[in-house]
Amino acid sequence: MANESHPAPGPLVPENAKASATYQGSLDSITFGEGSALPLNKPVSSGKDRGIVGTNVLPAKHAWTPVDGRLLSVTDLMVEFRTREGVAHAINGVSFTLDQRETLAILGESGSGKSVTAQAVMGILDTPPGYVTGGSVEYCGVDLLRLAEKSRRHVRGAQISMIFQDALSSLNPVFPVGWQIAEMFRVHRGMNKTDALEKAVGLMERVRIPAARERVKAYPHQFSGGMRQRIMIAMAIALDPAVLIADEPTTALDVTVQAQIMDLLKELQDESGMGLILITHDLGVVANVADRIAVMYAGRLMETAPVGPLYAEPRHPYTIGLLESVPRLDSKLGETLPAIGGLPPNLLAMPTGCPFNPRCRFAVEKCWTGTPPPLTPLVDDDSRATACWLVDDPSVRGEGQIAATGGAR
Amino acid sequence: MSADVILEARDLVKHYPIKTGIIRRTTGHVRAVDGVSFDLHAGETLGVVGESGCGKSTLGRLLMRLEEPTSGSVTFEGVDMYTQRGAAMRRLRRDIQIVFQDPYTSLNPRKTVGDIVGEPFDIHPSVAPKGSRRRKVQELLDLVGLNPEHINRYPHQFSGGQRQRIGVARGIALSPKVLICDEPVSALDVSVQAQVVNLLEQLQKDLGLAYIFIAHDLAVVRHISDRVAVMYLGKIVELGDETQIYDHPIHPYTQALLSAVPVPDPSEKGKRVQIRLTGDVPSPANPPSGCRFHTRCWLAQTLCPLAADGSGSIPPQCSQEIPELVTHDDGAGSHEAACHFARTLEA
Repeated sequence: MANESHPAPGPLVPENAKASATYQGSLDSITFGEGSALPLNKPVSSGKDRGIVGTNVLPAKHAWTPVDGRLLSVTDLMVEFRTREGVAHAINGVSFTLDQRETLAILGESGSGKSVTAQAVMGILDTPPGYVTGGSVEYCGVDLLRLAEKSRRHVRGAQISMIFQDALSSLNPVFPVGWQIAEMFRVHRGMNKTDALEKAVGLMERVRIPAARERVKAYPHQFSGGMRQRIMIAMAIALDPAVLIADEPTTALDVTVQAQIMDLLKELQDESGMGLILITHDLGVVANVADRIAVMYAGRLMETAPVGPLYAEPRHPYTIGLLESVPRLDSKLGETLPAIGGLPPNLLAMPTGCPFNPRCRFAVEKCWTGTPPPLTPLVDDDSRATACWLVDDPSVRGEGQIAATGGAR
Repeated sequence: MSADVILEARDLVKHYPIKTGIIRRTTGHVRAVDGVSFDLHAGETLGVVGESGCGKSTLGRLLMRLEEPTSGSVTFEGVDMYTQRGAAMRRLRRDIQIVFQDPYTSLNPRKTVGDIVGEPFDIHPSVAPKGSRRRKVQELLDLVGLNPEHINRYPHQFSGGQRQRIGVARGIALSPKVLICDEPVSALDVSVQAQVVNLLEQLQKDLGLAYIFIAHDLAVVRHISDRVAVMYLGKIVELGDETQIYDHPIHPYTQALLSAVPVPDPSEKGKRVQIRLTGDVPSPANPPSGCRFHTRCWLAQTLCPLAADGSGSIPPQCSQEIPELVTHDDGAGSHEAACHFARTLEA
């Protein structure tokens, strides 16, 4: 099994690990690439290894029902990119869950692997160069990574859907927006053109595009940035998905429009009860909408926590640094911002030990050697978990409390 | 002109013609900047904020004379910039430099860092004689926190934050008096953004630079600015000190803009009064009559809540008269805002 033989102890949430182990054991048609259990930092030369290739076929009318309200359960996900320069380990054992009506925010800087995680869950990773080499992505109890592409298409869009960052380049410039939204109904539901277009108008109204019926035949360039993002959202929710992944949905937008889009996503979630995964680098956006936050760095989860406690008392040095380095609107403090020194690590040459150690002001001997610290639940609060050896170190905790007050120092 | 004002913009206007048809007839104008006036004092930072399309980047390009204005004037140390030519203009350019937004496209990929940072010296050889150039470039790299030994590297060998440092080094190479920063940190990650902001503040302290800091991130602008100008559709709608703008905003647009910024603190959720603006910024090719903000203005709508037919739903003054930028009492002092009804209602 990939999970067990892997030398890097990925962060494991106990019940997930158990569930996926029994599940994998019960399937006999799983094909593993030989290289799926390769140790980290060792270049993979064999071009034949395709990582995890799914072959399971489900009936098209499979009934997807969440297990105890749990929609998605990602366990120990591993993704690597094989490039000419070497193997970049983009995701190194990421585990998280998503329940109905829940908003999970994945927070991280560029290159931290947050978008790749979303692509792996959606099954839209570019292969090559990207390969899923380990772990599982269970949706309603079925491991999507082991599903054949044919079956996966029934999940994509209809069950798990995605909004992309750049709405202009994600929309086809030569077709009217209504036609593009209606495509979801024509392809997935087999509707005729007239009915599908009618549904598209309804959706455009649902995402609050004014004068939807008149604008259904307009082209993407005739819409503003915020309206284009609404069209993307309309396409994503067309088939009433249970999970919506929003990859930096408001990054390209102005604050006033950003607020409108976040409100819209919240309203849609309240209406349908879908689970929302919000991928972002903006600590402000996350604070207002997320229920839980997972902080990613160098392809690992550094800290997961409910939103309140994370901001009130960050426990991982990276989270502390992030919160400190954000200039705040509600106060002007000090002359210099407490920046995190250095740069995010090169995924081709990851430091040994904790990936954050070169930039961490608390790092001790243990952080520099051996395996990275696993994501472990906190002793005093099991709704939170951190991947840091120094989680109970008084000086780290003290700095965390200072950071939470807006960096008043 | 008061003693320490080094840059003075008066009624700056830039209209871009819209040409249509085969004969490229001019059928209208995009009013990117439409009557902007302000003073910049030596050594201070003037933040310029606004939504995309409000003309803040065009303003930056006008101040650099990368664009010729349709009308208006910019006076730098008492000299009218737009009437200078040839050698006089070149001398003027030494004192006003710019740092661009995107560190990935604003550096020539075929040139080494030494060539990029040293290029200003080719145009202004009097600043650094040929023999000392390399050493001068290395000093600049050291000043912006880059390894001077990396002088022969190419831009692609650097990360985004480091590239922006290269852009800053090029900007300060000629020891300018004014540095225009056009969204210098918006392409950078949070942790790296703080490093570049700190660098800019340090350089200002050491070199006595004045900054025009153009950005859409209100929190960053607050951190770095002494004074802030809020722009909407080519006009400055509010101008004041950093504390006046952020703690006592009086223009309904500024108030809405500030309330839309998410604060990284979940305990604040629900406590802050949030003003939601509906719709998008109108097209600058066809701006609304009267106050340009009246189509989205929550204040105008609250002032006339009773008119049900829609036409009379805002005060006629707002849709007919263009408000001037005048001094208003802000509760804790006074600063300039362009609104007929500033402070008639508390936000």
